This record gives sequence, structure tokens and C-alpha cells, in this order.
Amino acid sequence: MVNAVRSALLALWLFTAPLGADAATVITGMVRTQGGQPLPGLTLLEKGEIHNNRWDRGALVDASGRFRIELAEGGQYGLHVYSNGYIYKPTAVKVETGKTLEVRVELVPEPTRANDPVIKRVEFVSTETGKGKALIRMEVSDPNGDLGPQVLAFNTATGRAFAMAPPRWVWSLKSNYPNGVYQLEVDTPHSPPNPRDWHFTVADHKCNTTDILSFPHQPTPSQVVR
Amino acid sequence: MKSSERAAVVVGAVALVLIAGVSAGHALAAAGGLGELVAEGEEWWKSSPDPREPVACATCHHDRNETRGWAASFPKYRPLPPPEGRVMTLLQANAEAVRRHYGLADPERPALAITAYLISRGIGVPVSPGIVAGQPAFEDRLRALDESVGRGEQLFAGRCLSCHAPRAVAGATLLFLRTADGQVESLEGFLGRHRPERPPLGWDGQSTADIIAFLMSWFAGQLVGGSPEYSP
Repeated sequence: MVNAVRSALLALWLFTAPLGADAATVITGMVRTQGGQPLPGLTLLEKGEIHNNRWDRGALVDASGRFRIELAEGGQYGLHVYSNGYIYKPTAVKVETGKTLEVRVELVPEPTRANDPVIKRVEFVSTETGKGKALIRMEVSDPNGDLGPQVLAFNTATGRAFAMAPPRWVWSLKSNYPNGVYQLEVDTPHSPPNPRDWHFTVADHKCNTTDILSFPHQPTPSQVVR
Repeated sequence: MKSSERAAVVVGAVALVLIAGVSAGHALAAAGGLGELVAEGEEWWKSSPDPREPVACATCHHDRNETRGWAASFPKYRPLPPPEGRVMTLLQANAEAVRRHYGLADPERPALAITAYLISRGIGVPVSPGIVAGQPAFEDRLRALDESVGRGEQLFAGRCLSCHAPRAVAGATLLFLRTADGQVESLEGFLGRHRPERPPLGWDGQSTADIIAFLMSWFAGQLVGGSPEYSP
């Protein structure tokens, strides 16, 4: 009888304790139009309070509208979802460590693209000091002069999201950010950055958003979704 | 109507006004006035004043279920980009939003109208400052609201307590609802000009939000929109 109880306890520990201890902390979800059609795109997370501009992780949203982001820890995050031709959606979320948060995101089309920021070009350069560092430069302009801090880069290889540094000092996150060349210095200890891993998007203070610019990073005119 | 039911309607009306920061006194005194303000707010909600920037409030916030709980959740912490995140009343939050999205230099009137509209959308929702039904509660935001209530209590003690007991202020607030000089007046506006010998409280300032957060902390659980004027 004692052995049977011990065996049962051992089995219980084997099947539950490791799973509970190692369970991933995940935000997963589905992105759709108002009509229910799946939308591909990009989802990026701020760690902590939403709109703090401390970008953390991200993921591409696949053609079926699904995404999955694995996190180092639970807590509060600002979830931003982008899709070409749609107004990006920011949502404050909270996920518990070791749990999976499932979200559903519905995007609405931008009524016009005339006010969207424009990514003019992206280039990857090696820094002069060289080893282990590379520089990404992106030229951005906004027709209305109300760019915000969301000049964003995402690396699919690492799952990391970044805000790129503006060409000059900006008073606050609510200030209008300048047009010009934004930069991001990235650590590349083993090899130069692979441009195929990098995706970019830019939003202004009124939620007007560029298309997601992926490799080969050749900007094309944006279209209104009908 | 039983006296208890009448009292519930009265308290609900006060809660409505306090949440919104809108003095519904004009509308309560003159049928149709509040309805006009609600209709104006709905227009602001659905249409941008700038045809070149057609994104309106309703473009993104089109889900009526989503917006139904908003009025009841104020005052609350609005997560604006740091360091500007702070506890706001619904009127203040609307003013910030129309200033930013609509580019309006003077947002008070459209913010007032949108506030009236959002309250009309939230009739019957229990007042729950800081919490929107169906959305997660964020500890840091609730802590900020607690701090705001604490500051509001101190401000109330310094500015109001000599004349108004906190519990009695509900009744006083109810009496206070009125049209001032032919204008619908918000609670924020009233607080801003009350006791002119004192340093003024701006209608969109933190101190005003703190006092209203303190007053609202007495009303949790009451229903938004107790006023029959909000009935269709």
C-alpha cells in the first residue's frame, strides 16, 4: 500500500512538477479584419506600461492571422499590432508567468494613406569601430510633421524589437519627432546582421502607420484597403 | 416611486455628473438640452473636424461594448507616454484625446460633448473608478489612483472641509448642478472657479482630478446615468 502511494506521488511529481516549473510565458493571438478575415502583419511589445517606448519582444503575424510571443517573464506589456493598410492597435495586457495569454485583435483600415509617415530607405552599415557592432539607418519623413517615437525595428532571428534613435534630441515622447535618418546600433558578435531578419514600421502621433517594410527593404507606395 | 428608489436615482445622477465632470444641471432643468449635448458628442465621436485627417474616435473605438464601460471607469490612470501619464477625469481624458487626434487648440467644448455622449453610452454600468469591466486591472494604475484619492482628500480638507463635510458634499454637489450664465458647466469648471480667493484649480489640472477622484471614491458601485434625462 505504501509503495503504491509512493509510486502515485512519484508519477504525480513527474507529470506535473516539471511542466509547471518550465511552462513558458506566452502571448498568442489572432489578428482579423472587422469582417473576420485573417490579417498578416507584425506585433511588438513594450515591457511595462503601454506607450513607455521600452520595446521588448515581437513576432510576425502569419498569413492565417496568428502570432506567438514567448516572454522571459510575466507582467504588464503594451501589445501593438500592425498590418499594411490598417490602423495599428495598441492594447495594454497582463500575462502571468508560466501562463499563456490568448488575445484577439481586430484592425480597421486606414481611411487614407495620405498622412502616413514614409520610409525612404534602409541601409545596413558596419561601424568604424567595427567588431561586434553594426548600424542600421532608416530615413523617415512625415507629411504632417507629427511623427511619434514609434520608429521601430524588429529582428525575427532574435525576436527583439527596438525603437530607433532620432536624428536629434527630442524633448519628450509626446513631442513631434523630426524627419531624417534614424539609427539603431546592434550587437553582432558572430556575424554581420542579416537584412532578411529585419522588419520596420513607423507610426505618427495620430496612428497613421507605414506599411511593414521587410527585405529587400524597397519602399513601395502604400494603398488604401478597400 | 418609493423614497429609496428616488434616492437611488438621485445618487445615480450625482455619480453620473461626478464621473463625467459634466454638470448636467442645464439638461436636467430643461428637457432636450442634455440630449442636444449628447447628439453633439456623438457627432464629434464619429466625425473628425478635419477632412484631411478623417480618423475619428469611432474609427478605432467602434465596438459599442468596449466603450460602454468607459464612463464608469473614471477617474483613472491614463497611460500617456511618460512622464505625462496621470489620473484623469473622463472630461480631461477626452480633452487630451481631441487635442491630440483632432488638433484642436481649445478642446473643452468637444470634450464636454463627447463626455456627455460616453455617459449616455454607459447608463446603468456600476461606477468602478480605475477598472473597466472585462479588462485586466493593473496594479500600478490602481496605486496611482489611490494616491490621487489621497491627494484629493488632502485638497478637500484644505479647500472644502471648512464648509462641506465629505459625506454631505454629495447633496451639495446635487444642489450645485446648474446652468451658470447660460452655459452647461462641468464639475471641473466649477471647481476651477470656486473660491476665487484661493489659487485657481484648472479644469484640466491634476488637483481637480484628485478632488474628483476623492469624491468618486464614495460612489463605487452606484450606477452611471441615473438621470431620467438620459432615457431615450
